[in-house]
Order: sequence, then C-alpha cells, then structure tokens
Amino acid sequence: MSLRRFVSMLTAGSAFVAVVLSLFPSTASAVPLYARQTGQKCVACHVGGVYPLLTSFGRMFKLTGYTMGDRPNLNELEVQKDAPPISIMLQGARQYYANTSNGLNGAAPGSAMDMQVLSLFAGGKITDNIGAFIQWTGQKYGDTQTGSQWTSASGIDNTEVRYADRILGPDSDLVYGVYVNNRSTMSDVWNTTENWSNVFVGFFNGGNAQAPVTFLDSAATQHGMVGVGAYAFKDNTWYGEMAVYKSVTHGPATFLLTAGTTGMPLIDPSPYVRLAYNKEMGPHSFELGIHGMVSYAHNGTADSGGISDWAGTVNTYRDVALDGQYQYVLEPHYFAVHGRFSHENASFAADQVGSAVSNPTNILNETYLDATYVYKAKYGAMLMYQGVTGSTDALLNPMGPAGSPDWKAWTPQIFWAPWQNVRIGYQYVFYTQMGGTTGGNLNFGGTTYSPHDFNTSMLYASFIY
Amino acid sequence: MTRISKILTLSALALAVGACANVDRSRNLGNPQVSGYTLAQQVCSTCHGGNGINANGTALNPTFPNLAGQQAIYLETELQEFHDHSRRDAAAQDMMWGLTRQLTPEQIKALAEFYAHQKPLPNPAQGDPVAVAAGQKLFIEGAPERSVPACATCHGARAEGNGPVPRLAGQHADYLYKQLMAFNDDVGRENHPEAQERPHAVVMEGIAHGLTDEQKRQVADYLQSLQ
Repeated sequence: MSLRRFVSMLTAGSAFVAVVLSLFPSTASAVPLYARQTGQKCVACHVGGVYPLLTSFGRMFKLTGYTMGDRPNLNELEVQKDAPPISIMLQGARQYYANTSNGLNGAAPGSAMDMQVLSLFAGGKITDNIGAFIQWTGQKYGDTQTGSQWTSASGIDNTEVRYADRILGPDSDLVYGVYVNNRSTMSDVWNTTENWSNVFVGFFNGGNAQAPVTFLDSAATQHGMVGVGAYAFKDNTWYGEMAVYKSVTHGPATFLLTAGTTGMPLIDPSPYVRLAYNKEMGPHSFELGIHGMVSYAHNGTADSGGISDWAGTVNTYRDVALDGQYQYVLEPHYFAVHGRFSHENASFAADQVGSAVSNPTNILNETYLDATYVYKAKYGAMLMYQGVTGSTDALLNPMGPAGSPDWKAWTPQIFWAPWQNVRIGYQYVFYTQMGGTTGGNLNFGGTTYSPHDFNTSMLYASFIY
Repeated sequence: MTRISKILTLSALALAVGACANVDRSRNLGNPQVSGYTLAQQVCSTCHGGNGINANGTALNPTFPNLAGQQAIYLETELQEFHDHSRRDAAAQDMMWGLTRQLTPEQIKALAEFYAHQKPLPNPAQGDPVAVAAGQKLFIEGAPERSVPACATCHGARAEGNGPVPRLAGQHADYLYKQLMAFNDDVGRENHPEAQERPHAVVMEGIAHGLTDEQKRQVADYLQSLQ
C-alpha cells in the first residue's frame, strides 16, 4: 500500500471517528464509564488526559474502590439514568519492522493498516464500598506464533474487584481496602510498577520475545494467576499493601484467567509486598517506593484440558524493585517522570539445570525510565528507556554470542489528542543492544541479526468511548 | 478446603458486608441521603483538602481553589452554576459539572456552610515581590487610567469578600489569573462563546477587560500573599 493510500485511509478513519464523536459529543474519557460515573473529563484522573497515567485524584478514585460518583446504590434499586457502565477501546495502527523475515517477525503486521486491539471495559461503582475494573481484550496479533503466523488472541485482561473504605478525622485520612485481581501490581496507583508502565499503547513489539525481563514484569504473571490483597493509604502519604497470588485451575476464580493460559507456569502461593511514600505540594507530586514478589513457578504448566501438572519442580524468582515518580499537573503543562530499578534472583530446580538453564541461579537487573510532557492535554511527547543486564546463561539466552540476556531499547513517541478520547501517535522502538551485543552477531533460527533488526515503528490511532 | 479457597471465601464475605450502604462514609454523589458534610469529607477533600485549604499541611494543586473561609453565599452560587452549567471556564467543565450534577439544594447549602466555617490559612506559595507590590497598588487604587476601580471597594480591604463577592485573600495566584482570563471578553463575545465563561460575573467582565495581562498576574500574586 502506498503512503498516499495509507494517508487517505487514515483520513477516512479520522472522518469516521469524527462522525462517531459528533453523535456522542458529551463526556468521554480514558475509561469513559468512570467519566460517566463522576461526570468529569479525562484530565481529572489522567495526567494531561493520557491514560493510564494517574493524577492525585485518579489515584484516590482507584484506592477508594472506583466508588466516587453517582451510580445508584444497589440496595435502593434506583433506576439507572446514565449510560450502561461499559466502555469500548479500539486501536488501529500501521507498523513497520526493520526485519520481516518469516521466523523472526513472521507474518506480523509489517505492511498492513490493521485494527489491532479491541478492549471492552465494565465496572465502576457497584455499591458505596465496592467497585470494579473489568477489561476484556482481543488482539489481532497475540503472543504466540503458529508456523509463520502470529495468532490472534482474546481473553480477560486486567480485572479487579475492590472493597474500600475511607475514614477521615480533623487531621487524619485513612483509606483501606481489599481486592481480588488477576495480575500482581495491577492494584498499584503509581505508574512505576510493571503493570502500569510501558503499556501506554498496545502494539506488536518485534523484539519482545528476545528481550528478557524479570518474572514480575513478564507475561507469566499476566492474568494466569489470581491474587487477594489488602492495602492502606494513610494521610495521602504512606501506602502499604500485601497480597498473595496463585494459579487456579478449577473453580469459580478461573473466570479471572485468560483462556489461553495453556503453557503458562503454574504459580504456588506467592507473596507480593508494596510500600510507598507519597508527597503532594501544589502542582507537584512525588512518590518513592519499593515493591517485590517471591514467585514460586512450577515447571509443569497449565493445560487447556483442565489437567495441569502441579507435580513439576519449582523455580523461585525473588524480585525487588525501587520505584519513583514525579508529576507536575497544572493546565496547560502536564509532566510526568517514572523510574523503576528491579533486581531479580532466580533459583532454578535441579532438573532444569543443564536442560533449560545453564546455571542453578541467575540474576537479572532491569531499568525502566519514562518521561512524558503534554501541552493543553492535546499535544504530547514521550521518551521511554528500558534495559536489562544479568547473568550469562547459554541455555536460557541462546541468541547472543555469550549467552548474555542484556538488552537496551529507547522508545520515543509523539501524539496528538484532537478530542479527549482520540489519540493519534507515532512511536519508534529502537533497540541498541540485544543478547549482550550491539553488533550483527545475534543468532536466531540459523540466521544472524543485529539488535536494530528488531526495531519497530508504529503510526496508530486509538478511540475510546 | 485449600488456603486460596478460604481466602476467596473470606473476601466474598467481606464484599457481602460491604454491600450494605453506608451513608456516613459514602462517595455516592447521586444519593440525596448523603449529607453535604460527608461529601465534603469523602469526595471534595480529595482535591480541596479536608479543611478546604490544605492536605496534611501541604498546599493544594492550584487547579483547585482554596475554599476555607470563603463566603457561603458565593460558594452556594458557584455550586449552583456548576450544577446548571452556567459557569463554563475550562476547569469548571472538566472537574465540577459532573460532580455537582445531582447535588440537591440542601447538599449545596451544607457544602457552602461547611467550607465557609473552615479557618483560612496563609498560602505558602510566594510570588515575585515586585509583582506583589504592583498588585497591591492595583488592589487598593485600581487603574483609573484604564477605568478599573479598586478591587478593595467590593472585595474588602483585606480581600475577605462579602456575601456574593468572594474572598480572594490567600487564593492561588494561578487560579485567580485563570479566572480573570475567564471573565475577560476581550475577543468579542459575539464570535467567541468562551468569552462568556462566567456570564453571571457581569461586574468582573469590564474590570478584567481593563487589566493588562501583566496586571492580572500582579494582582493575583498580591492576593495570594494576603492572609
């Protein structure tokens, strides 16, 4: 498809969006069902209107269990006067790859304008104390490859039900609650933790499979386990949280798991802990925290037939991360910086050493940084950096010349939000190192590549209502 | 029963207990049974502070005006204007239209009284001393050459306000400046609907029109410094 045709398609797409918007000119926002519940616009809860970055108000909205607003109380059986608590997100993109050989990027969306992601949201205020965030996502390009084709995937995405209460005194403020969700760190309200960083737009990243991350940051913790946690936030300053996550293979809680959990590791009860210090001064807000999880992951995996191998030996991943955030929120300027430094100690079961891994223990250090500026909640730029260093392990990381897991990537992005629920952007993922090398000596399927071969760029438009 | 099942059962129990409505600690903006005081605590405090002026001693984001000691009549009028969408400055639309859409007159009155009775405190933010001095002169003397009367005439010598005329002392300079811009109909109201962002503040339209951009910032800086 020529660039001209692509531009005309994008123009036609924008016109369609404009028509849709003209039909619904009122409030719509990041998760618009929440906007309909409070009647506020995106910028109330999201920094410069950019989801998923949460403002101070957005953090409190989530910590108080998504219950602020005027959804009727179930007990009183009031008639629902507002739109149903459902939202839809649609994202289309055209992606480009430096290398589109079958076997590396397969039939990934290297040359087509595609509707890539469709998400449905439900939830919001259920009672005075209970609320939910429920997301279901379909992706044209999922995480698995059949032959040279990337298979589509759909299933439950980030989902959480919360009970929360808030007790205020003349000089005190205590928010506390409990939750059930399907991913560790999904509960968090600062955009420094694994679930809520580097996910600003969904896209097919050609280098993901070759760029190892900590267990806590990996797909293994996404919607393949169920967690129960409790938290408290004192005086808008001190935050503490504890949770336990576990894979479930039968029973009602399995509705929280992605249908395609086949092949995901089974997790024994694994504790998650979070502490954070939060300080807000005028338009500035700061957060400094620590979070960590000890994950016990079976080498046997979940099976689609419902028979899961709990007998497999167990690997242990001890992850601890320091994280920090700074935000400046005052129209017309919105600015946010996030950082996370993670350290992982992985201990592998004896039967894995020599077959899946070379070493009985490995370490992995992950650095994540991003900075975002938005002007008038319309024009924005973002720069993200992610890098990993760790133990060399020829069996675990066969691609690099010395078994190194090290990689580095920079991701600049610019975007424009002509309306608060439409975002059009361009981003480029630029790998400067992979497999411990910056040169052209990566071995993948018998062919040599350089880190740049995994670069991914994307022109996208997302619409949410 | 496995441990996880026990945990899930306990959670379900907790959720069931929570299903009971709790009007004393509710964040339900559509329930007329929830008092204005409870809404001030559970919802408004998130941006305006528990006492209408700070949160745990630290200054609020200037997007959100200090409300402590504000004139009750003024607060009631503004809440009503958010409720009926007649106040249309950007922040009002973004933040306040929705939150006030189902408030009852009783809740609005109670909210206004609550904040009027909170103790105002000095604003810790400091403006440029030269601008503050120039702003003080404007506040006391006005700008006769531009037909701008002294602000103190209506707002009081200490900018404490009077009934429908708001208290301005200690207010965020950024908020005051943005409101002065909202009053301003410099570009011509026929062609610019935003010129009527605060159509009920008729008196302020002419005054804001007479102030230069720099003078608006100066008087805002001065008012922020007042206690």
